[in-house]
Amino acid sequence: MKLPKSITAIVPFVAGVLLALAAGWTAFPRAIYRAQRQPVNFSHRVHADKAGQKCDDCHSFRADGTFAGVPTLDKCSGCHAVPMGNTAEEKAFIDRYVTPGREPQWLVYARQPENVYFSHITHVKLAGMKCETCHGNEGATDGLRAYQEDRVSGYSRDVFRSMKMDDCVDCHRRQGMDHSCLDCHK
Amino acid sequence: MTSSKKTIKAARYGMTIDIDRCNGCGACMVACAVENNIPPVPQGGDRKGLTWIRVYKVDNGAQGADRRSAFVPMLCQQCGNEAPCAHVCPQNAVEIDPATGIVGQMPERCLGCRYCMAACPYHARYYNWWDPAWPAGMERTLNPDVAPRMRGVVEKCNFCHARWHAAREQAAADGKPDTEPVNYVPACAEACPTHAIRFVDLNQTSVEGFRMLEKLGTEPKIFYQSKRDWVRQIAEAPRPTANGSKQGKEASRG
Amino acid sequence: MTTTRRNLFKLAGGAAAGSLLTPAPWRLITDTALLSENWPGVPRPKRGEVSYRFGNCALCTAGCAVRARCVAGQPVALAGVEAHPLSRGALCTYGIAGHHLPYHPARLRQGPVAEASAAVQSAIRTLRPNEHCAVLDLRPGRTASWTYRRAMASVRNGMYLASESNTAVDLASAKTVLSLGVPVLDGWGTPGNVWALRGGFHLIQAEPVESRTAVMADLWLPIRAGSEAALLDAVRGGSASDAAAQTGLSEQQIASLARELRENGPSLVLDRNGASPMIARREAPVPEEWKKAVPATQLASVSEESIRVLLIDESMPGEYLPWSAIQPKLTSDCVVVSFAWSKEGYGRQARFTLPAAVYPEVVDDIPPAIDSPAAMFRLAAALVAPPEGMVSPTGFIAGLAGIDAKNALQERVAAIQKSGRGSMFDPSGAAKPADLWKALQAGATWIDDREPRASVISTQIASPLADDKNRSSAPLAIAFSEPRAAALVSPLMSKVTNESGLRLGTHGVAIHPSDARGAGLAEGSRARLETASGFVTVDISVDDTVPPGVIQVGGGPDLQNVCGANRRGRVVAL
Repeated sequence: MKLPKSITAIVPFVAGVLLALAAGWTAFPRAIYRAQRQPVNFSHRVHADKAGQKCDDCHSFRADGTFAGVPTLDKCSGCHAVPMGNTAEEKAFIDRYVTPGREPQWLVYARQPENVYFSHITHVKLAGMKCETCHGNEGATDGLRAYQEDRVSGYSRDVFRSMKMDDCVDCHRRQGMDHSCLDCHK
Repeated sequence: MTSSKKTIKAARYGMTIDIDRCNGCGACMVACAVENNIPPVPQGGDRKGLTWIRVYKVDNGAQGADRRSAFVPMLCQQCGNEAPCAHVCPQNAVEIDPATGIVGQMPERCLGCRYCMAACPYHARYYNWWDPAWPAGMERTLNPDVAPRMRGVVEKCNFCHARWHAAREQAAADGKPDTEPVNYVPACAEACPTHAIRFVDLNQTSVEGFRMLEKLGTEPKIFYQSKRDWVRQIAEAPRPTANGSKQGKEASRG
Repeated sequence: MTTTRRNLFKLAGGAAAGSLLTPAPWRLITDTALLSENWPGVPRPKRGEVSYRFGNCALCTAGCAVRARCVAGQPVALAGVEAHPLSRGALCTYGIAGHHLPYHPARLRQGPVAEASAAVQSAIRTLRPNEHCAVLDLRPGRTASWTYRRAMASVRNGMYLASESNTAVDLASAKTVLSLGVPVLDGWGTPGNVWALRGGFHLIQAEPVESRTAVMADLWLPIRAGSEAALLDAVRGGSASDAAAQTGLSEQQIASLARELRENGPSLVLDRNGASPMIARREAPVPEEWKKAVPATQLASVSEESIRVLLIDESMPGEYLPWSAIQPKLTSDCVVVSFAWSKEGYGRQARFTLPAAVYPEVVDDIPPAIDSPAAMFRLAAALVAPPEGMVSPTGFIAGLAGIDAKNALQERVAAIQKSGRGSMFDPSGAAKPADLWKALQAGATWIDDREPRASVISTQIASPLADDKNRSSAPLAIAFSEPRAAALVSPLMSKVTNESGLRLGTHGVAIHPSDARGAGLAEGSRARLETASGFVTVDISVDDTVPPGVIQVGGGPDLQNVCGANRRGRVVAL
């Protein structure tokens, strides 16, 4: 069957559009990210269940109100100077990090650009927000998911998903908060 | 970007600078650079430097033995009414914080057109001609509370806003109510050995003094003080009234 | 359908249009912007826990109390301590950025230690009978100074050279101060103390250039350069008309000055080499066994060509004696070793320059400043670790004499504690007063009791200003604009030098436009400043507030070395 000329004329164009859509929505996301493994496959669930810890046992506030973020090695060494369980992962951790006193280079999913200022204490203590609201239910996870690093800019896929400036501003607007640029930038 | 609900009692931060107490030592300039991660700019002379606060030497215009000088620290005057820089910025990179009255410059939004530098009547804005460079090892002494700026953007004094944040976090940690104003002081006021520079909340304290180029109507929040008439007249002069004391340099008047 | 070029373009066009509906181009734009923020040129400050440590600034004898804000143990900012009874929270332009010194590009990181040691020891072994091994101490009055004196007592023909350090002025009781070019309000004494006492004295500043102190003084007398001695003479009863002729002031001004000093006393006269009156100040107690040490000798009283080994401790900033005064005292085969922060001081003349730890890497005690009538003992804290390869001057010199001086500071503190004298200021308020050593290491200051009747030393203020040999040949009279600055200053001092012209840098000088024209110089030129002591490359500032015939010079050891005793010089274009 011979198609009318007008249809034939736009076929290449439409084909191009469809190709681009397919590539852009499937291949591009896969290509732009590089999966990095965390130095240790840390299990939040084990520490929450077996060790009975809550978020702020390790991710705590200092006396001056600043947030300690991902804990440093001394927090882990406090308990893991000797193996607490019997997993190979823990033994590897002790051999590679605790014994030589080397800080694990954790990849922080929520890492923001240098000019961003986020005050944890304002959100947690003053606004009463829960950790899960922004960070998801990390406490129930059995291992650390791979850090999907954007090849060009270096930031994590998690930031692009739900921790962009627009996401923060949306929440501020929903809460009816008065704010200005310097509140969140330094 | 604003809504009606206010969470803290608004402050209107300003300064009083007593010119009769300023001996031109420059400790404020160095302290500012330490706090705000401002790199040393040895090339380019005094027109390409980054001096968020800069002490100018002014004089009474007389010659020889009758000449008398004074030192005037100049920084962003934190205009309270229609800040010229905020008006002209094509990027909306300048925003006045309603909670503190501070005129905030956002280097991350700036595209480097320098229109604001032309608009500022106080020459208080500075352009990063080069990427910041510190001698090897000196990056260890950088302040983590302030982000260094790349080349191609304008920057200026923001009353050490990072210290305000730190003071608020400390207040939150201490359990103080959110509405209580915090006690914070910018680096220059803290460093001034003669206490010529004093930081005030204009909503809490009433101050006296004259302001630079008042007739422009920018309502700056920096109040200068001096008992000498000729110093007060400097504030009115749109142009230098006498020869610059240093040949070849930009005639340095307010 | 055929594959024509047109179809290809349609495909491409469709792909372009379609891609706009995918995240790809938008993400790439965002990423490029984000990438530009992470340029390799822009460093990212390291984060960590904030802590505060107290110490004292070692850049001059003011020893102002310092509170260091540290991030993960690294000092990132310094501030004063308001409660300190002397420094009152003030930190000067140099002290505010003192924590940058370890990273200064000119900072010495290595030196020929073994060679220097061998040369010194061999020279000491072969000292001829009238030859000396001498230590030149640029900052006398420290515990290290006592170590040198003890070492020289054990070394053959050992000698300890230093200027007087046990005198002070009583600024608190002065009602009138006549300063002959001394930067009283700009780095002299303990700045916080001077400012606190400012309301109690009338300051008359006599100098040719309107310095920062002159701007703030109650009265500025613009005398001609070099006429200070004549003014002093008139004020003490000499001829006012002579003084008027030399200084350029009127006879009435001189008479009125003399009257004021007489009638509005107690009055104090300051000049760059001394003061009148000065009071004797006893030192902080020392262990008894140390007192067998050699006393201090003045360089002027040393015979010519008699120093075979000269060990210079310039590891703590102090007053540089001009090399022209030192050179004649050295034998032709003198081994000169300098312990320094950079090659810019005596390193230019020393045979061996050995790297010493800088402030704030090393613990050392700071002798009291000129405006403290009571002795003080305080330590400069070690806030960062020194790099490998640093040489301790006390270790080296004590080693020559077989003395172990590692615990000298503790021994001194024990003696202070035993004496029962004095009181303590503790910035943190934490340490028990009984634990003096711990408190001092945490930044405390021990302040001696004032002697009820300290003897007044009537000094003839040395007339340093007549330099007759050169008066005719050198056209420019030298005026100093900076307090005696540290040998290394933070790179951020460019804010007040290059980036604003507010102060003269370590190699900066300022001359009048007519003198500049005469020498063929312009703003920013490099030139050579020549005096009878030598020459140094300088950066020219043209400034019409500097009178014709005067050259205003900045700080820095090179300039002090060359200008120190010579008050006249010339500038030559390079």
